[in-house]
Amino acid sequence: MNKFRRAVMWVGLTLIILLLFLSIYGAFIGAERAKSFFNRLPLVVFWSAFLLLLIVGLVVFRRLVRVPGLLLIHSGCVFILAGAIWSSEPGHKLQKKLFGIDKITTGQMRIYEGHSDNRVILEDNKQIKELPFSVELKDFQIEYYKPAFLYIQTRDGQGWRIPVEIDTEFPLGPEFGTVKILRAFENFKITIEGENRKIIDDPQHGFNPALEVQFTSPEGQVTNRYVFERFPGHSHSEDKFLLSYRRVISDYVSRLRITKDNKVVAEKDIEVNHPLSFGGYHFYQHFYDTEAGQYTVLMVVSNAGLAVVYAGYWMLCVGVFWHMWLRHIVEKRTKKHINGN
Amino acid sequence: MEIKYTIQGLLIYIAIAAYLSAFVTSLLRRAKTGHILYLFGFVAAVLAFGYRWYHVRHVPLQNLFEVFLCLSMIIYPASWFCRRILRVGGYCADMLIGAIVLFPAGFILNAQPQRLPPALQSWLFTPHVAVYMLSYIFMAKATFQAISQLAGRQHQFSRSGGSCQQKDESNQRSENWCSPNPNENLLPPEQATYSIICIGFPLLTLGLILGSYWGKKAWGDYWGWDPKELWGLVSWLVYVGYFHFRYMFGKKYPRINSIWAIAGMVVIIVTLLWVNLSRLFPGLHSYAI
Repeated sequence: MNKFRRAVMWVGLTLIILLLFLSIYGAFIGAERAKSFFNRLPLVVFWSAFLLLLIVGLVVFRRLVRVPGLLLIHSGCVFILAGAIWSSEPGHKLQKKLFGIDKITTGQMRIYEGHSDNRVILEDNKQIKELPFSVELKDFQIEYYKPAFLYIQTRDGQGWRIPVEIDTEFPLGPEFGTVKILRAFENFKITIEGENRKIIDDPQHGFNPALEVQFTSPEGQVTNRYVFERFPGHSHSEDKFLLSYRRVISDYVSRLRITKDNKVVAEKDIEVNHPLSFGGYHFYQHFYDTEAGQYTVLMVVSNAGLAVVYAGYWMLCVGVFWHMWLRHIVEKRTKKHINGN
Repeated sequence: MEIKYTIQGLLIYIAIAAYLSAFVTSLLRRAKTGHILYLFGFVAAVLAFGYRWYHVRHVPLQNLFEVFLCLSMIIYPASWFCRRILRVGGYCADMLIGAIVLFPAGFILNAQPQRLPPALQSWLFTPHVAVYMLSYIFMAKATFQAISQLAGRQHQFSRSGGSCQQKDESNQRSENWCSPNPNENLLPPEQATYSIICIGFPLLTLGLILGSYWGKKAWGDYWGWDPKELWGLVSWLVYVGYFHFRYMFGKKYPRINSIWAIAGMVVIIVTLLWVNLSRLFPGLHSYAI
């Protein structure tokens, strides 16, 4: 290895070790601060130096070009770094300066059911920017695993987990009698008509899941209680039990429709892991109205540079498997074949 | 410490007992009995994993309890592959690794079944975690070989020209005594470390890439700078550093090569355990406790 190549190798090893320690530092400061740290100017210089060194390595070391696996691995890393730089915040600013491409890097949209909007709140400076099309939220739904559970706990720590099955009686032992769930509400409300209080499951706007529970003591005394999902562990001072109603969310679904010039151009039910891609952006289910379930919050992300990053992933993966696994198998088989002849 | 009085717990304890018995029997130079016990431990670990799968109704790779069950199950095939295909020893250590990874599942970690949160309901969930687990087992084996090399049990390497010289052939047999076939020709530890890392590294790379692709699908970003992602990157970079260092110096500094490999395993342990158990690193992977 001549001096220049040796120097390139040493610089490469140094950058790898430096990135290693920077990553450890990033892990300690948390995702948000790490993101801003790795996008700062000194780090932009570091990424550019890394990219440049990979390219220099490919030029200087003939082996990296001659051996297909090594070529794929190293050029894959070049693609990943280049794509990542292109898709970053500084990359988007550069695109605007050089080519006049003015895209939103990352932002959020809050859309109410039955409404459409094209305004995006930018993640970096909280300014509002408009998309060249509108996104309409036709419907938003939260799906739950079944059964849900009622958690009962005595004041001395004894506990039961009861599946929510209407009118089924569950024993709590000789000391506490039985429990029965009489009714499950999606939106518990109390209406007052004259002097009468009426408990209803209101199909209109609102979100107050609850259970009506009946306890029967061993002496036959019956007590009714209401348990609210949003107020777990709530109880009166005279109550024997602390009650909680818990449902586990299985999915969030936003039914979206995209319109441009009064024409519907795309439609999709988006869920976690199933985003919508349109017009150079990806739309993700990000958050929702936890109080009333009336709106959804979508994350809008630019797809700039993504194809380059994915191409790099493929190259790196194919290269590493070819170089370390497959080429040895192929070589062995070829040798066997030659020896056989 | 908590003893699990369930079928799941029973299967775990049988597997631990079998792996430990296999280890002790092999130490007493009863290699064949040791191998049978090792195989029995593997069957018990497979049953424990299968039972968990049936119980939770999804591939059990969601939390640390399930991940340790998986690791205990794949140690035997990894052991077999390394001995038969790569000619790498460390058979006894594998039995001990099997027992060690099952210990937290049997006595420490919570086995309460959990439902998959929306983010985990993806086809990428199983390959991403499974590929990582496979790579971790291979890297653990590589670490044992690196420790053997540092302990200087078998081979000493001449510093000139980076060539490997086997000083005492009878020493090589000492490595084989717990293998079912004590006469087989095994690689020296430095070479063995390299061979196993060459098997584990592509899996580590695939795990990282699948995780990144999944991150893009689920959270909108292929790299979220999450602590677990960064520790995953650190473990990948340690092995990248190992390959570059070994390319630069070959076998000239076998001890430093081994230190790279051991450092890789230390980072893997941090990634697998500390990131999930410590409150220092809250992030997107917090559900994996």
